[in-house]
Amino acid sequence: MNKIKNFINHADLRKFRFWLQLFFFVFFIYGGYLAIDLGRELPIFACGYNHEIAGTCYFMPLQHQLARPWETLFSVASIGVLTSFFVFLLWFIVFNKAWCGYACPMGTLQDWITSLRKFFGITYSTYTQPQYESLKKIKYIFLIIVIVFPLLLGLGILDGEWRGAFCDMCPGRIITPMFVGDFSQWSIDFSTKTAIFLSSFGIVFTALFFVGSFIKKRFFCFFCPMSAMHYIFSDVALLRLKKDGDKCTKCGDCYNVCDMQIKDIADDVKSTNILRDDCILCLKCVAACPEDDALHLDLVNYPIFKSTKGGFAKRMEIDRWEKKDD
Amino acid sequence: MVDFIKRDKNDLYGKPILGFLFKNQKFLMILKLVVLALFFYAIYYGYAHTGKDNNFTWAVFWGIFWSLFMVVTLPTLGRVFCGICPHGFMGKYITKFGLKKKMPKWLQNPYIGLFLIVIGWWGIYYMFPGIYRTPLGTAILFTVMTLLSFVVYFIYRDMAYCKYICPIGTLTRAYAKLSFTWLGTYKSACDECKTFDCAVACQHNLKPFTFDGRNSMTDCTLCMDCSAACEAVSFKVKKPSFSLFSKFQILKAEVWTFILILASIPITMAFHHGIGRSTVAGDMIWAKTAEYFKTFVDFGSINPVGLFAFLYAMLFTVSAALIGMYIASLILKTPFKKVFYSLGYSYAPLFILGSIAHSLETFFVRGYERIVEGFAQAFGLSVDIASLASRGDSWLHMFGILKWVAIIWALIILYKRMKLLDADKMRKIIAYPFAASLIIFFLSVNMYRSHILDTYGRASGGHGSHGGGAMFQSVSKDKATLLQADDSCVGCGMNLPKFYKTNHAAHLDKQTRQYCSIHCLSEEKSIKKIPLNDLKVVDVTSLKFIDATSAFYVVGSKKKATMSEVSKYAFALKEEAVKFSQRYGGKVLSFEEAYKIALNDFNKKGISKIVKPEDSIYFVRNKPALDSKKNHRGGHMMGSRDRTQIPTRKVWLVSDEINDPKCVQNVEGHFFATDVQNKPLDVKIQKRECTGISFELRDVGYYKLYYVDEKSKNINIAKYEYKRYDHSSDEEYNKEKMSAKTIKEVPFDILRLRPDDETFYSRLQSGDRVKFKVVKNRKPVEGAKVSLETQFGWQKNIYSDKDGIAEFQLIRDYNPPWDKFDKRFRENFLVTATYNDDNKSYKISFMESFRPSRDDYQSYSYGLIITLVLLVLFSGAIFLYRYRVQKPFKEVKFDE
Repeated sequence: MNKIKNFINHADLRKFRFWLQLFFFVFFIYGGYLAIDLGRELPIFACGYNHEIAGTCYFMPLQHQLARPWETLFSVASIGVLTSFFVFLLWFIVFNKAWCGYACPMGTLQDWITSLRKFFGITYSTYTQPQYESLKKIKYIFLIIVIVFPLLLGLGILDGEWRGAFCDMCPGRIITPMFVGDFSQWSIDFSTKTAIFLSSFGIVFTALFFVGSFIKKRFFCFFCPMSAMHYIFSDVALLRLKKDGDKCTKCGDCYNVCDMQIKDIADDVKSTNILRDDCILCLKCVAACPEDDALHLDLVNYPIFKSTKGGFAKRMEIDRWEKKDD
Repeated sequence: MVDFIKRDKNDLYGKPILGFLFKNQKFLMILKLVVLALFFYAIYYGYAHTGKDNNFTWAVFWGIFWSLFMVVTLPTLGRVFCGICPHGFMGKYITKFGLKKKMPKWLQNPYIGLFLIVIGWWGIYYMFPGIYRTPLGTAILFTVMTLLSFVVYFIYRDMAYCKYICPIGTLTRAYAKLSFTWLGTYKSACDECKTFDCAVACQHNLKPFTFDGRNSMTDCTLCMDCSAACEAVSFKVKKPSFSLFSKFQILKAEVWTFILILASIPITMAFHHGIGRSTVAGDMIWAKTAEYFKTFVDFGSINPVGLFAFLYAMLFTVSAALIGMYIASLILKTPFKKVFYSLGYSYAPLFILGSIAHSLETFFVRGYERIVEGFAQAFGLSVDIASLASRGDSWLHMFGILKWVAIIWALIILYKRMKLLDADKMRKIIAYPFAASLIIFFLSVNMYRSHILDTYGRASGGHGSHGGGAMFQSVSKDKATLLQADDSCVGCGMNLPKFYKTNHAAHLDKQTRQYCSIHCLSEEKSIKKIPLNDLKVVDVTSLKFIDATSAFYVVGSKKKATMSEVSKYAFALKEEAVKFSQRYGGKVLSFEEAYKIALNDFNKKGISKIVKPEDSIYFVRNKPALDSKKNHRGGHMMGSRDRTQIPTRKVWLVSDEINDPKCVQNVEGHFFATDVQNKPLDVKIQKRECTGISFELRDVGYYKLYYVDEKSKNINIAKYEYKRYDHSSDEEYNKEKMSAKTIKEVPFDILRLRPDDETFYSRLQSGDRVKFKVVKNRKPVEGAKVSLETQFGWQKNIYSDKDGIAEFQLIRDYNPPWDKFDKRFRENFLVTATYNDDNKSYKISFMESFRPSRDDYQSYSYGLIITLVLLVLFSGAIFLYRYRVQKPFKEVKFDE
């Protein structure tokens, strides 16, 4: 048992994550060819506009369900909305935000773009703390668009063009189908003014997605409404990122490796549950932590991956550096 | 006692406006005095004006305070209702000069109040509906309660009336536990306190400084006397129902309040008013029991159905709670009483939130208007306002979500209270659903109620105003005046009370003839030239017949018409007509003008024709209208489809031009329909001026309908094909099942072949190639003439090849101005196949539609150009920014 624990704690997280991400990317984007269908309630941006997807992003059915006329929505028919929601919650609570860091095709794609940047040797950018604080709110605005716009449509305030307004604005709709050879989303819809606005927004956002994620790690995740949605329910999730503040030396390694620039991971020594709304649970911080047990990933109070001195030393190849010094 | 304290952020006393509202003693005094004055004025008004026109007494008592204000504030702000209650306010002064006796033990019983509200109020309410809510009944009730309270206040001390006798005292105490406010004290100040001013100031003999420690505000009515006595008293915003999440001293009467109030209000209402208004109300157990007892008990003026609905609701609710909790206590191995009274607090949200929904809905639909009018009446003002909403407005359904919130909230409280029990974790998990029995029961009753109403429908008549599906025109039979022997329209035979508000009447010789509407009247008078005179019409306001020629008609309002597309409602008074038109639209016109408009219905330029063999016949979705340019969405008498019902499709048999179809008059052939399995399907045929055929769409797939006229050697066939699919269906697309098939009853058929890549979502688009196969007696026909004509006039003829196939490419001829372009526009086209042999000629037509192709309105080039430009722009911008920010290292030299 201890051996297994030791093995996990000393594992090369980067490789593990790379292969897992690749697997999930292929699984979700091309799963439809193997007749895999995990339903329409997945907590990741596996876009349903890709017809070969192995399961669909929950926002697509959610927007459709909420756009029902109110007399239907607020009646027994809302059971359908609730069951979908519970299925979403069931998916989510198992892996918590690890869906973002490991399974989301859009997230994986951004990580690959980051690798490409590394390959070219271009330095990356970061936000300043005030920029960060204001930008991170945008995802909640998108979440409001996802939830409130369909409701307004059901009330008759917005017209049918706004059905799935967020989907029209989402880069996932444009990018995901590309991988199965469908480029039809790369277009501007000129049929109505609303359609022009929404489809242009989508195109602009997509361009931003590419440029942004090239110079800023996980650029899009700052604005992802799914991330906001996750955070609301992250307290009930089974997988948790915990921190033992007493063991933290505030060395800042975790903050430096964090793709999402979460300052609390290094600064906050009070909270035990260190998961923040931007966190993608990529576990890089745990791998980069040089203190025993300071950061650990728990599955219902049982730690499955811990920060250890030994693991840190192995990952950083400290023995090699020490030899060099000799 | 302290004079100053630094208040916490969440302390309402520290907030600028809220602090004033809740703490300022002068303001509170004025508020209480105003409420008191209103209270007595409304009672006086009830005695002075006992008629139905007294809106004021109703407005004060049943419009504002009871139900609306109480249920809205209780689970939010807490017992502020009690804080301004006139009884409590007066009671404080009475008790000061009273005998100050200690209340005897047997009266110190909160069940007294609970009994009064459950049996004395709700029991009576169901047995004698309407007895309390008359102005006089209300006035007497509140006089009695006021006198009773004054006597109790005078004799006993510590405001015992509020605690034990007041019918809503225990109720408010119990439901206020859900609120997000909390009256407490600052511990730092209280620790050093030796004077206990807050407890001294409290007329109820409570100790506010112990509230935080006890985690219970006990009998506090939020009168705010203590906050005037000491600054250390706080009024904080906390998490809703937070006190229920930890231990406190339970009061058994509170749990019973939750259960009995739940039984007597929402459950009985669901039985008696919800299910009781459905068409199957008579089959319910309470109705049957009432029926049974009626045979040997004389109920007099008691409503036995209401009584038994109430009793059964009590029985079911109490047993659901007791049985579930008993099983839970067995599983938990904990004494029943402990489990029941501790977990019973989880029932709190069930009633009160649903009640908020109902109260708000009533307020927006009727209450607001009646309250304002009532106050205007009492203070001699003149106001004219409309309701904030009318019944059936879709946004009102928003409140329906509160019921779900209630259920989830209850489950959360149950979970938190379960945590407080000492028991094994596994046992708790197993016991949870049993402990939630009453919550599940509440949910089931609600769902059963909707199920019954959706499946069996509301009974017509009776509660016209309550029935969402009832028509505006309808009144109950006893309210309708019949001027003739029977209750059907002379012109069309429709039921007169059902369309009463548009009824007309006239004299023929000395006999009175009553009509459902001005349509039938004008038909008899002007079209059939029957000499009618002395025309009368129903006044919508008073429901009495008045002279039609001097009535004011509101023409073209939103309220639906009888027998016509344009509605016409008559009023005796012009003001009423103007008010109606302001609310529902339409113009106020005289009888002559309205009559002329009614006659327009008969100026049909022939919407039907007799079909000759050479005419093509087909089915259309929209009934040919008088004005063929106008596209009617649904008929004027159709409601929206309910989700629980099986969808149906109705089509009309027509002939002639694609843009100007005429109803077929000589329908002499047979109809055949098939379902998705190509098996025969029953159709409903409605033969009126236009023949309509409707059939049910049970499954997903293609439905076909044929009309075959084989009377002469010219065989003429109409065809209709419809694909049903909805997103909730999990069905796989089965090519074999979905392929085009013919049936043996039809001698000559044309099939639209499905392309290989077709799915459920496929739709025909302009530019698509469509293949048709012509078959005769199920064998392909070569040389049949197939013609395709679009709505905009493009036409093409092709002869079928040896496999019977004719292929067309759909043209793009939908070219509206850009701002009128609709990407969902369905352009109709008519396909007709003809063939002659053996001295017989065959003809079949059907209509299909196609949409604009995506390429008509989507542009890739724009999309790609914008992306490329942006990519370059953003990259350039970032590069420039970096170039400027990151200046290369430069050696700085100082010139010395």
